[in-house]
Amino acid sequence: MTTMADHSAPETTTPGNTLMTTRRGIDWIGIPVVAAVGLAAYWLLPDDLGLLTRILSSALFVLSLDLVLGYGGIATLGQAAMFGAGAYAAGIAAVNWVADPFALLAVGGVAGGLVALATGALILHARGLTLLMLTIAVAQIVQEVANKARDWTGGSDGLSGIEPAPVLGMFRFDMYGRTSYLFALAVLVVALVVARRIVRSPFGLACRGVKEDPLRVSAIGGSPKLYLVALYGVAGVFAGVAGGLTAVTSGIVGLDSVGFSWSAEALVMLVLGGTGRLYGAVIGTAAFMGIHHILAASDPFHWMAFIGLFLIGIVLFLPGGIASGVERLVGLVRGKEDRA
Amino acid sequence: MTTLLAVEGLSKNFGGLQVSSDITMSLKAGDRCALIGPNGAGKTTFVNLVTGVIPPSSGTIRLDGRDVTRLSAAERVRLGLIRSFQVARLFKSMTVREHLELAVLQRDRRTFRLFANVAKIAGLADEVAELLDIMGLTAVAHTAVGSLAYGQQRLLEIALALAMKPKVLILDEPAAGVPHSESQRILDAIDRLPKDLAVLMIEHDMDLVFRFASTIVVLAQGRLLCSGTAKDIVADPRVREVYLGSRAHAH
Repeated sequence: MTTMADHSAPETTTPGNTLMTTRRGIDWIGIPVVAAVGLAAYWLLPDDLGLLTRILSSALFVLSLDLVLGYGGIATLGQAAMFGAGAYAAGIAAVNWVADPFALLAVGGVAGGLVALATGALILHARGLTLLMLTIAVAQIVQEVANKARDWTGGSDGLSGIEPAPVLGMFRFDMYGRTSYLFALAVLVVALVVARRIVRSPFGLACRGVKEDPLRVSAIGGSPKLYLVALYGVAGVFAGVAGGLTAVTSGIVGLDSVGFSWSAEALVMLVLGGTGRLYGAVIGTAAFMGIHHILAASDPFHWMAFIGLFLIGIVLFLPGGIASGVERLVGLVRGKEDRA
Repeated sequence: MTTLLAVEGLSKNFGGLQVSSDITMSLKAGDRCALIGPNGAGKTTFVNLVTGVIPPSSGTIRLDGRDVTRLSAAERVRLGLIRSFQVARLFKSMTVREHLELAVLQRDRRTFRLFANVAKIAGLADEVAELLDIMGLTAVAHTAVGSLAYGQQRLLEIALALAMKPKVLILDEPAAGVPHSESQRILDAIDRLPKDLAVLMIEHDMDLVFRFASTIVVLAQGRLLCSGTAKDIVADPRVREVYLGSRAHAH
């Protein structure tokens, strides 16, 4: 084992190292690829912009889940609480006070962040199953509040009549959904850049430490709970912005945006794509919703079974999600290049 | 030299069981002290009491003149009372460099900077490079800790403790689990620790103890049996009976 010390100069090929460098390499191109594929889809699939826009805003929501789960190790089935809070806040603001789409996203982000900070401070002392139960409970409470506050939220009828002003005063939200799509794509790309910045900051480093061993973090003088609450709050802002984005681009907000199944679906999409990578959230969402769309059209009764089989396959053969498969492929190609 | 750690009349009962009773000792700046004693002598309990993992039943602990008896473990860490762990306790997927960055940032309370780039924080890279150099870990700086040799993990434990700029450093069996042939590397690293630091080492291996310590404290059955220079301790008949005697039985 001591030989490892002597060999580990910058360009080594120990298994651990290749994986790390591969991952770093993909990390770098991940965001430009998302932007490029997003633009390509705009030209190639002009008839599916509605679906594609939903994929983008959902990807932003799944990204927020990756921040808490992938970088903080917080197991949650209640992330929709923050998404729904953001969606309703943006929707209510749009109906009553403001119309600027960026202001609506900000309203959504603030609402999501506040709900996350307030509930996170209450529940994040717990870990594991207890925490999982508490996150579900929080989402149920938020959903019930939305249900009861009919005057503001429309209750089970949903909140409609959201008509955002043109983006930057120039680009109207047209009936073909072109503006919606490009707006959502821009928001997602910016969110990815910001998220990447955060996970590489001193704060992100500390959160990774908490994820691996909270007690060791306290042994170097840190407070694990403080980090987790802050991370939960940051992710809440992302989820709230995702909710606001959905409200702005779809024009309606329903109770399902705070629903348990929305939280659970986000978790499935994240595991499918790969946790702790950021772009894994985008891959997973696109794969899940894309397959859903295709299968639901061809076989409306059994599509869920195919999704299930697909998920089992991924978990069995690519435990790190689709993203880890991509990383292995890139690693293989690079390995060949190195040898050639 | 100033007294950095002063422990007075420290006792701990678990119900009727007294695991530490009336321990009084002190460490001055520059001290290299070894804490020894047979299994069950209460060495680990003593360390847990001093570092704040468990509260004492009575007695006081002063760190650099300040009473820290009622402070939490994390607060004591921030005041410079740092320990390393008996079993290397590290973040398996993080690299050696990331461990040290985190420790330094945490010490300076710069961990709540959400948008700063770790790679671009002024002075951080230099300080980490220096720590890597002191512990001889520069070559493995970018290796994930999970794939490090155990001896190197132990060195990183010490580097982490050092990164926090301790006044008092408690090393809990720093060479445990490391092959005898490699324990010299760990001792060398300990020799390079800053001279104004007070170091307390808990160790079973008498070879290491004699090579490291200028003074030795012997615990037996939760009590301080005696303390003094290595020569005094070897000559003390009580130590022979309690510690070296029981060791001879065990082998």
